[in-house]
Amino acid sequence: MPDMKAFKNKVAKYKRDFDKSILLVKEEKSLQELRNLYLSRKKGHLTLLFKDLMALKPEEKPAAGELINDLKDHILENLRSLKETFQVEKEIVKKTDFTLPGKARYWGAPHPVHLFQEEIEKIFVSMGYSIEEGPEIETDYYNFGALNFPPHHPARDDWDTLYLTDDLLLRTHTSPVQIRVMEKRKPPIKIVIPGKVFRKETPDPTHLPMFYQLEGLVVDKGITLAHLKGTLEFFLKKLFSEDVKMRFRPAFFPFTEPSAEVDIGCTVCEAKDEECRVCGGSGWIEILGSGMVDPQVFKNVNIDPEEYSGFAFGLGIDRTAMFAYQISDLRYFYENDLRFLRQFLLK
Amino acid sequence: MKISLEWIKEYVAVKLPFSSLIDKLDMIGLVVEEWQEKDGDIILDIETHANRPDTLGHLGVARELAAGLNRPLKEKDWSLVELDQETSDLIDIQILDRDLCRRYSGIVIRDIQVKPSPQWLRKKIEAMDLNPVNNVVDVTNYVLFSTAHPIHAFDLAKISGQKIIIRRANKGESLRTLEGKVVNLSPEMLIIGDAAKPVALAGVMGGEDSAVSDATRDVFIESAWFDPISVRKTSKETGIKTDASYRFERGADIAMCPQAALMAASLLTRLGGKATKEVFDVYPKPPQKKRIILRHHRIAELLGVEVNEDFVQDILSDLGFQIESSQTGSWQVTVPFFRVDIEREADLIEEIARFYGYDKIPSDFPPLSIPEPPREEKREMINKIRQLLFHQSFDEVINFSFSDPEREAVFVKQHPEIAIKNPISQKASCLRTTLLGGLLENIAWNKNRGAEGLNIFEIGNIYFWNESTAVEELSLGLATTGFVGQRYWEGKDEETGYFYLKGTCESILTHLRYEPFSFQEAKHDYFEEGFSLAIAYKGEKVGILGLLKSHILDFFSLKDAVWVAELSLASLFSKQPKPFQYKPVAKFPSVSRDVSFLVKRNVSYQAVKEAIDKLSLPYLERFDLYDRYSGPAISRDRISLSLRFIYRHPKKTLLAKEVDNLQLRIIKHLKSRFNIQLREGGQIDKRARKN
Repeated sequence: MPDMKAFKNKVAKYKRDFDKSILLVKEEKSLQELRNLYLSRKKGHLTLLFKDLMALKPEEKPAAGELINDLKDHILENLRSLKETFQVEKEIVKKTDFTLPGKARYWGAPHPVHLFQEEIEKIFVSMGYSIEEGPEIETDYYNFGALNFPPHHPARDDWDTLYLTDDLLLRTHTSPVQIRVMEKRKPPIKIVIPGKVFRKETPDPTHLPMFYQLEGLVVDKGITLAHLKGTLEFFLKKLFSEDVKMRFRPAFFPFTEPSAEVDIGCTVCEAKDEECRVCGGSGWIEILGSGMVDPQVFKNVNIDPEEYSGFAFGLGIDRTAMFAYQISDLRYFYENDLRFLRQFLLK
Repeated sequence: MKISLEWIKEYVAVKLPFSSLIDKLDMIGLVVEEWQEKDGDIILDIETHANRPDTLGHLGVARELAAGLNRPLKEKDWSLVELDQETSDLIDIQILDRDLCRRYSGIVIRDIQVKPSPQWLRKKIEAMDLNPVNNVVDVTNYVLFSTAHPIHAFDLAKISGQKIIIRRANKGESLRTLEGKVVNLSPEMLIIGDAAKPVALAGVMGGEDSAVSDATRDVFIESAWFDPISVRKTSKETGIKTDASYRFERGADIAMCPQAALMAASLLTRLGGKATKEVFDVYPKPPQKKRIILRHHRIAELLGVEVNEDFVQDILSDLGFQIESSQTGSWQVTVPFFRVDIEREADLIEEIARFYGYDKIPSDFPPLSIPEPPREEKREMINKIRQLLFHQSFDEVINFSFSDPEREAVFVKQHPEIAIKNPISQKASCLRTTLLGGLLENIAWNKNRGAEGLNIFEIGNIYFWNESTAVEELSLGLATTGFVGQRYWEGKDEETGYFYLKGTCESILTHLRYEPFSFQEAKHDYFEEGFSLAIAYKGEKVGILGLLKSHILDFFSLKDAVWVAELSLASLFSKQPKPFQYKPVAKFPSVSRDVSFLVKRNVSYQAVKEAIDKLSLPYLERFDLYDRYSGPAISRDRISLSLRFIYRHPKKTLLAKEVDNLQLRIIKHLKSRFNIQLREGGQIDKRARKN
């Protein structure tokens, strides 16, 4: 006959065993095993204790029952608390340092001159212009003759030319494409012509032997200098800003008459620095050459200057980018230093 | 052109503030590039135009300014202290070539003591950034910078036979110039000769023998008109550029000849000399002044603004034009000789616009008309390629089209390179025949500056002679070394190399629909053997890809392996891509089968692929290589390939049995062709998948 004393000892032993065991539990799985060992409904120590209790005297039963319940509470409380600890630990392990840099595919960078060219093209395309191109190796006729540069005229000196043969040269401007397009197509014509041009210039911060130009040509009935002015003003406002300062002043180009050069207010010193390296203190930067298509040019491509008129304009893409981004040296564009080029990805 | 403000004020009263004066000059087209104060004067540096030789002197600039300020141009008095001698008593002038010299005027000044100029004259010469020489030379320069008309002074005693003969040089003649340089003359050159020999290169430079010296007592002043092209050619031929040739080659004012001589004579008589009675003027065939009809309505048609008739008349007269009304609404305008640039109505309209003010021309938009839009396929394809390359982590570069012949020699080329006749330097004395040279220079540049992984491309022309045709050909160059993109902390850098570059090229060809393409092993001089491929579309070669040989890397001082490819976009674009065709999305599920097998290492994937393609199996939609393995489990001469086959019937769901039969045909075929061994116990993996 089991007695109360033995029962008490047994309960006490279980408690001691449990307290020892739980200290050895290192993972959640063992925790479950420990739980089963004591609380399993079939063979758990506590289930078996109940069987012992049944054998006690009736007056001892309530006290014994209380002992079991106390032990059960003790076990449950410890299991719960340890489980919680495991839970917290698990959370900590699972949690990454989300401040580490993320991963993205590296996106290659377009060359800034092309990027700026696209920016300019977009403005003209929005005004209904289409884009034309032409050869870089040109004949004397297309580069000069057809554009009303008489042979042996000093005007040719302003376009320092690289010659390949007596007749072939590297185009000094994109203007030959005007001639090629007007030879092919009847007006109305409304085009821009981007491309590489070449000059016999030793590279320095403001000169390059190769650079990009963008030429524009509009030919239709009734085109006037006022149209040229309105178009270029619109363009420069879109490219720089709505409040860009501009002025048109007379100039000379053999292929336009009247001719105009367009200046914008210095983007660097805003006409406040007399020593400004960009505008030389004048407050103005020359940005575009332009004018009304010369009647002789029209005659050279069999367009009647009495019936049609037109305007043309041209700008250096690299040079304009230089002012727009305040780049101090044009040569940076062609050194292809990726630390320079990649910055424009953010543009 | 240097312009002294003090000097200008001798011709026109300038009363406005300095900054307004600068603006005024800018706005009539005489752009002031810079200015500086000098001895109480202000010297402007004015940008002049090649067609406006009249503005290469103070008088011309003053005339423009006077018109712009609406002020009169002051007349000056050029009186003489005269001798009782005619010029012709002392010298005889004969023009033998009347085309190249249309007018020749001269005057003699006697008993001039050659000595330093007075202070006022020295100051003028110094203002022009020249050093004063002596009174005679300084006077000739003074006249040039006043009137823009170059004149020359000879020591009369050194003119043999008292004769001035304007003629072409004879073969074998030579002249020692003022600067002591001996010039061999040719019959194309116009010279001034005396009875015996050449004494000056007409319009370019005088001779040393007849030059004014301290011992000179009598001088002969020449003031002539020489043909611009002739002067330009002589100047270019002899390499002598002077203030005189610069003006003559742009066109001198033929009407100015006697006046310029008179002006010099007047000044020299004030300095103690005595002049012959009048200017001896040989002017055999005075040309007609140009006459142009100017229609009032054309002004508005060209400028987009109505300009008042009175304004037109006033401004043109101020500028020295004679203007008469002919019919209603039009004028006949006579052009002064100093305006060599004015030939057409449009030229006159520009004059009106300049003084009306470009700033007062309204801003407008051209009429809305719809021009024929050109095709932009090429540009679109280029842009697509660029976008693909950016996506593949390639950065875009642009290199100069110039190259060093030594650099080109590193690459073996099919066609000779194009040399530049007048290059900037040896390093830029020809045009590139490949884009690779520039790309490798870029890699070296960036590696020297700490870059590790580099993927770059360029789209641009290469150039070469094909027989006698200078060809420019659009090309795409790619170069890659190291790894892709930037280093990542997880440490899994994507290695670049053959498959990365090939994948990039494949992607371009696929997206432009240039299919079927192939990459075939083909020897190339640039590439290491076994790492050298030809890229072809429909069997035609369009590019190359490979691992650069070490001697090429050495030339560019590169140490690490560099993979490159170059595609001829010109030849690719000249071919027709596969038409785009939409395929309806399949309604029935596909069935897939995976198979892994061992095959000898020398069997290429391409061969396996072609063998399967050749079967033309029905319902085989596609198949892909998803694993390639070699390792300890496999004998060393073999490789394991795993392929996934996707089958689909357009009108029904395929049964497993049907697919298995097709799959067996493939395996049988591969067994007989390549003696493959199936892996995983030879069982076909039957994981059918429905999607």
